[in-house]
Amino acid sequence: MDKILTIIRREYNTRVRTKGFIISTVLIPLLLLVGFAIPVIATLMNSEKPQKIAVVDQSGQIFSHLQSVFTDTLKNGKHLYNFLPVKIEGKEVTAVKNHLTKQVEAKQIQGFLIIPANVFDTGKIQYYAKNVSNFSVNERLSRRISRIVTRIRLEKQNLDPALIQTLTKGVKLETFKVTRSGKQQKDSGATFAITYILVFMLYMAILIYGATLMRSVLEEKTSRVVEVVVSSVSPFKLMAGKILGVGAVSFTQMLIWGITLFMISVYGVSLAASLGAGDVLAKFHIPPLDPVVLLYFFLFFILGYILYSIFYAAIGAMVNSEQEAGQYQTPIIMLLVIPIMLIIPVVSNPDSTLAVSLSLFPFTAPIIMFMRISVLMPPAWQIVLSFLILGLTIWGSIWVTARIYRVGILMYGKRPNLPELWKWIKY
Amino acid sequence: MNSVEFLSVTKDFGDVRAVDHLTFSIPQGSIYGLLGPNGAGKTTSLRMLMQIILPDSGSIRVFGKDEKKSYLDRIGYLPEERGLYRKMKVKDVIAFFGELHGMKPFEIKKRTAFWLERFDLLDWSDRKVEELSRGMQQKLQFIITVFHEPDLIILDEPFTGLDPVNAQLVKDTILEEHTRGATIIFSTHLMEQVEKLCDRICLIHRGRAILEGKIQDIKQKFGKNHVIVSYTGDSDFLSEPSIQSYNDYGNYVEILLAKEANPQALLKKMIRQANVHKFEVTEPSMHEIFIETVQSLGGDKNG
Repeated sequence: MDKILTIIRREYNTRVRTKGFIISTVLIPLLLLVGFAIPVIATLMNSEKPQKIAVVDQSGQIFSHLQSVFTDTLKNGKHLYNFLPVKIEGKEVTAVKNHLTKQVEAKQIQGFLIIPANVFDTGKIQYYAKNVSNFSVNERLSRRISRIVTRIRLEKQNLDPALIQTLTKGVKLETFKVTRSGKQQKDSGATFAITYILVFMLYMAILIYGATLMRSVLEEKTSRVVEVVVSSVSPFKLMAGKILGVGAVSFTQMLIWGITLFMISVYGVSLAASLGAGDVLAKFHIPPLDPVVLLYFFLFFILGYILYSIFYAAIGAMVNSEQEAGQYQTPIIMLLVIPIMLIIPVVSNPDSTLAVSLSLFPFTAPIIMFMRISVLMPPAWQIVLSFLILGLTIWGSIWVTARIYRVGILMYGKRPNLPELWKWIKY
Repeated sequence: MNSVEFLSVTKDFGDVRAVDHLTFSIPQGSIYGLLGPNGAGKTTSLRMLMQIILPDSGSIRVFGKDEKKSYLDRIGYLPEERGLYRKMKVKDVIAFFGELHGMKPFEIKKRTAFWLERFDLLDWSDRKVEELSRGMQQKLQFIITVFHEPDLIILDEPFTGLDPVNAQLVKDTILEEHTRGATIIFSTHLMEQVEKLCDRICLIHRGRAILEGKIQDIKQKFGKNHVIVSYTGDSDFLSEPSIQSYNDYGNYVEILLAKEANPQALLKKMIRQANVHKFEVTEPSMHEIFIETVQSLGGDKNG
């Protein structure tokens, strides 16, 4: 037992200290944080500046309504949008434009609106500003002024704008997630966003750390250091120690990533709100990550990693170079990619026969069963059965791969064909 | 008491019998030479000794025990194929293998300084293994082999790749370890070393022990029928009927006399033809015994 710990410690310490590990472990949560922080920061920065907009209202009917629909305020309670009337008074429109353009360039105003006299017929107004790609300003100007124009049009036809609004009101679809506990929870596509992130983390972690383990086994074999190691510890213990050591490395990383994701999903909205930008994140409807789902994530990660890593270890022992390892890896990667390709059908139909059978098949179970759990909690017996099959498969696979590993690590030269592998298993 | 006993040990790999009813014993405190051509079954035997693979039949007793309980901590192994973790620091590699052999951290720390000093590697203790020269890596690997004061040290071709100075250092260390009480197994092809260092040998051929015992006894069994001659001039005398075979080493010739041949008569003939600088009637060298024995069994000449 002490020797397995020594092996685990060596694997863990040499890997955790590498620059690659430290950078990727810190960088991913950082990117995640930045991703969530950008809209918040953008809002906080934008709301700082009051906007002065000059208005040339040639229709003479719109300006008086402007301030009443632009009610957005700054933190200090003052108006965000301030409209300044500009009278033409017989001057040429182009001359007025030129004058206002100079004011924009001198930053006395942020922009100016030209509302033509025939706006009620053409439905066109012009906005001039240094920055005309600010989506929220453009959208507000367009939507709110068209509301004013519509109302005036209706009034001209002697229709009641309030009545029209009531009559033409559209239908809004609200979706609710029904959970096993019977609790109903307002939901949006964001649930799936979290599922996607976790499923990809699961897939990437198994793939990357499986390959890391394989390279580690191969390195010991090609450098021949394994000859000395197995003279003091049995090949089985060496294999177990390596799998657990590399596993501990990936678990450390997953823990850091998972906790970051959890924190963002739980505290992100309230943190943003306390900074004065709560409504921005609230728009995303990020539901707090269920701790139970997170727990299943780690359970399936551990089991999935162990199942795949024992095969990666065997491949590392069988081959003599990374190039050779490539072909043996293909079936493993295929098995890992299947669940990723099926993410849409499984998530949209988590109780289908396909989803249920793949969540029981051991090589796809870790990812598919986790997908199902995070979308719609399957019956308990299916989860238990999935764990049971997975556990038995791991046990059986260890029995086979440990034999391949034991012979393989000390065999150099030609890589084995199937009959030779069968002999190795029987040695 | 014997450190190692092989009793009719057999191991098959598929259709190939790697070790065939191998029996030999290594007395405690001896320097034992495990000899044999390539593929004779030496490495397989050593791997069975270290429980890496299990024998199909027969038994192996190490330190007088044959139970499964591990005696591996008491063995130090220097494989023929050298290799260490390239990305690890020198002192970390030593610590890792020390720990793997059950040593305590304070022992490791104390002895690391001693051994690095001894092998002139102290300045390299914080460097990565890959920065070391080939010779330094060999020395480091040797340190790892003897670091945990093993009772049984197994050395597979320990001198390959070492310059004469370091080879001397390693040889001295081996003899010190022997004085400390360690039993030493040499697995080698180099017969001069066997002759100089070993007191007993086992010659393995096709998985079987074909010669086993004290070097003196083996030599005596072969008898004083060898002549070592150093000469200049005509070499016609080598076709004399009294010479059964000979081996020309360039500077000297080792001659195997025919049965009942008289070495004095040969010397008389030689003096007439050539300038003789040295004429020694002796036991056969281990090299000759090795080749003769293996050839007589129809194996490869592989010394």
